[in-house]
Amino acid sequence: MKNAILVNYEYCTGCHTCEVACQKHLGLEPGKYGIKLTQIGPDQISERKWQYEFVPVPTDRCNLCAERAEAGKLPMCVQHCQAGCMELGPVAELAAKMGDGGKYALFA
Amino acid sequence: MTAENIGQNASLGMSGGSRVVPMQADPAASGRVDTWQEGEFTVVRGNARTAPGCHDNCGILMYIDKDGKLDHVEGDPEDPYNQGRLCLRCLTLPDVVYHEDRQLHPMKRDRADRGKDKWERITWEEAYEIIEREIRAVQEKYGSHAIQVFCGTGRDIVGYHPMLANILDTPNQGMGFLSGQGCYVPRMFCTTMKMGSLYTGDYSQNWIDRYDNPNWVRPDYVLVWGNNPVVANSDGTLGHWIVECMKRGTKLITIDPKLTWCAAHSEYWLQVRPGTDSALALALGHVIVKEDLYDHEFVECWTYGFDQYAENVEEWTPARVAGICDIDEDLIWAAACAIGNADGWALQWGVALDHTAEGFYSGASCYDLVALTGQFDKPGGMVCGMPAFGLPVTWIGSDTDWIPTKRDDHPHIHGDYPALKMIGMPSPDATLDALCGEYDYPVKACILQTNNCLSNMGAQPERIAEGLMNDDFNLVIDLWMTPTAMACADVFLPVTTFPERFGLTGHQPYRTGAINKAIERVGECRSDPQIVTELGRIFKGEDVFPWGEGDAWDEEGFYGYLLRNTGFTWDDLKARTWAYPEMKYYRYKTGEIRDDGQPGFNTPSGRYEFYSLILAQMGMRPLAFYEEPPESPVSRPDLAEEYPLVLTTGARQWGFFHSEGRQIPHLRAIHPEPEVTINPADAARYGISDGDWVRIENQYGSCVQKAKLDIRLKQGVVSADHGWWFPERGREDGFFGTFESNINNCVPMRPGSTGLGNSYKSVLCKIYKVER
Ligand code: SF4
Ligand code: SF4
Ligand code: SF4
Repeated sequence: MKNAILVNYEYCTGCHTCEVACQKHLGLEPGKYGIKLTQIGPDQISERKWQYEFVPVPTDRCNLCAERAEAGKLPMCVQHCQAGCMELGPVAELAAKMGDGGKYALFA
Repeated sequence: MTAENIGQNASLGMSGGSRVVPMQADPAASGRVDTWQEGEFTVVRGNARTAPGCHDNCGILMYIDKDGKLDHVEGDPEDPYNQGRLCLRCLTLPDVVYHEDRQLHPMKRDRADRGKDKWERITWEEAYEIIEREIRAVQEKYGSHAIQVFCGTGRDIVGYHPMLANILDTPNQGMGFLSGQGCYVPRMFCTTMKMGSLYTGDYSQNWIDRYDNPNWVRPDYVLVWGNNPVVANSDGTLGHWIVECMKRGTKLITIDPKLTWCAAHSEYWLQVRPGTDSALALALGHVIVKEDLYDHEFVECWTYGFDQYAENVEEWTPARVAGICDIDEDLIWAAACAIGNADGWALQWGVALDHTAEGFYSGASCYDLVALTGQFDKPGGMVCGMPAFGLPVTWIGSDTDWIPTKRDDHPHIHGDYPALKMIGMPSPDATLDALCGEYDYPVKACILQTNNCLSNMGAQPERIAEGLMNDDFNLVIDLWMTPTAMACADVFLPVTTFPERFGLTGHQPYRTGAINKAIERVGECRSDPQIVTELGRIFKGEDVFPWGEGDAWDEEGFYGYLLRNTGFTWDDLKARTWAYPEMKYYRYKTGEIRDDGQPGFNTPSGRYEFYSLILAQMGMRPLAFYEEPPESPVSRPDLAEEYPLVLTTGARQWGFFHSEGRQIPHLRAIHPEPEVTINPADAARYGISDGDWVRIENQYGSCVQKAKLDIRLKQGVVSADHGWWFPERGREDGFFGTFESNINNCVPMRPGSTGLGNSYKSVLCKIYKVER
């Protein structure tokens, strides 16, 4: 089954490491991305609740680190994700992890 | 410990003793190798540790191509510290190593040409000849104490600089021109007075098996105070360890004028006015005492002065403090009850606590909360942070049997500040006054190693430049031609990056590790410690520093010597790459904290001292207190008429480490210009739009930065970047334009009354749009 990337974005701190890890891996100049951060908020939802979150979105340059997978390694972005909030795996397996109340985005 | 016998070591909670500490079991260590082949690459396993700099030492795999060049790096998945992750800074390591701007040869410049791009390449021999001649001339003319040994933060030179001070017989060594020693020293000093050692949050980092260790429990709460841990990674704590704890159920309480990522993910966010932290800590203590949420057993058996503490916090009611801090009163109650009722909670404090004039006591007022709730040495609370394996012999250079020194023959430049007198640390503020001829003490030669004080850290940088450009001799040791080197150096020595050298990660409390050499040195660079030992041969003799020099320097022999008290050898450490000391909780109960082996803490009473006997004996205030910053809308309403905004500086940015990283394209692209953040409501009042260039100005000076409008920042406060220079600009173009956007132009070189603490996060300013 086709692989995908699952992001548990509740924990993504917006640190840009995935972007740079991928740029270095794919040999991309600054400004070109294999994965790009997007930002939600800052938005004051209620008196004491804010939304200020980030979601990294793979671009069309992303090949899911196919060669690394062959060598038994995690994708560069997944391995170096500072929050450990990304995962690579078969779509159905990852989809099954969603729905536990956490905040997820699945990129397939 | 008494006031008389406090040396610098004990006073900083770093003593650690010379006891041989056993290693923690590491089942994988026996099969671990430090070099292997992977396809076309040779892989070398090591620890990231400077230069380039950071406060951490992540496990790293360095991939070397067949020509011996560093091709790329990855995190080491087997390393418990970072568990395979490297952040964006280390991921760009090869761009630093092979950067065209890196300085690869020693250079000299005529003293008359300071500030001009008139460098001449020289040999190491000639460089050392000039250094010896000039330093000896200063020693003879003014005395050795006229030599200043300055470092910055991050690079492991912090461990070797006390050694260099011993070598040069000077008592004056420290952070060059950081007003009030205002980074960690104020917090460490006060907590050392109160309990004799230093503690950090328990994020499982002391355990090899980390979050799976059966003895560890996650903190119920982490109190993130004046710190943005995920960006800052300060003081050897990887901020994302806290995120791992959150996944396991830890909740956050954040105290910050800005909605940081942690604040947005907190149960409670207390958006305080900058500089009011001590007041808040006293109010939290007030609630915990009043609501009887304190740990009676710990307080009765292990603390001293609780009654005075209770009396002291009486007047700091949440209602009153809510007004001081400009937050809701019920948030103070809620936060106090949360930590009062928690099983375990960790204090994750930041440099903001030091960055107010009486910052000396802010750390103490926070630590009182830890003591009140009995969190010391408790799983999921606070764990003892003394350097692993008693390594302060390298960290502090306290072994004077090894290096005979006359450093203490002359008093250090303490500026008559009581705390600095006590701990033997120089006052950067008095040092600048002396350098400028405004204080009676000779400051005639400066050694600046990993110190770019004109771009970063030094308040009133143009005054520092003027002083440095007029002394007798300056030696700068760095990777780059920095603005500081460009302004003042007479001799420049180029240093290696960490893949080019061996070394020890040194001073961290959780473990120690080997910096492992992966590539040959680029150009003629030498490592920071090598340069220190070579100066040692010149000034103290070859029998004291028998490791040779130049290409023949016995690097591994030197590090082996530094490990002599640890019970293991350099070869052991290099092969295993990291070594964790045995970990135990509740050490104060078993006599493993005090030097005399008695239960309790390293204080005169043997207890945690809410009321510090040493401070009382020294005539300083023995209990925590709050005082308004010298320049605040409350203390100086007159000044606030002209300068209505509170200025806070130095918020950490992804990708940069203080003034580092500006020339690395992938890092610079994330944050290309110096930015000042302002709330849109304030910006509207001053006619400022997002992206406008603005001048930030107060009675001390001004600079220009780009306005970033953001509702995350408290109204009435602006937050300005620090550390900027523009390596792409000319060397003679204002030293890479470093004064133009330097927010330290607006910060006074002025400590608190004790000599510690400063005003980097609590002065006033106005801002207005400028054309650029
Ligand atoms: S999986 Fe590989 S190619 Fe795709 S974004 Fe991550 S690092 Fe880039
Ligand atoms: S590395 Fe992880 S935490 Fe950092 S921005 Fe990317 S997804 Fe978020
Ligand atoms: S935190 Fe980042 S810069 Fe510091 S050692 Fe780890 S990977 Fe390197």
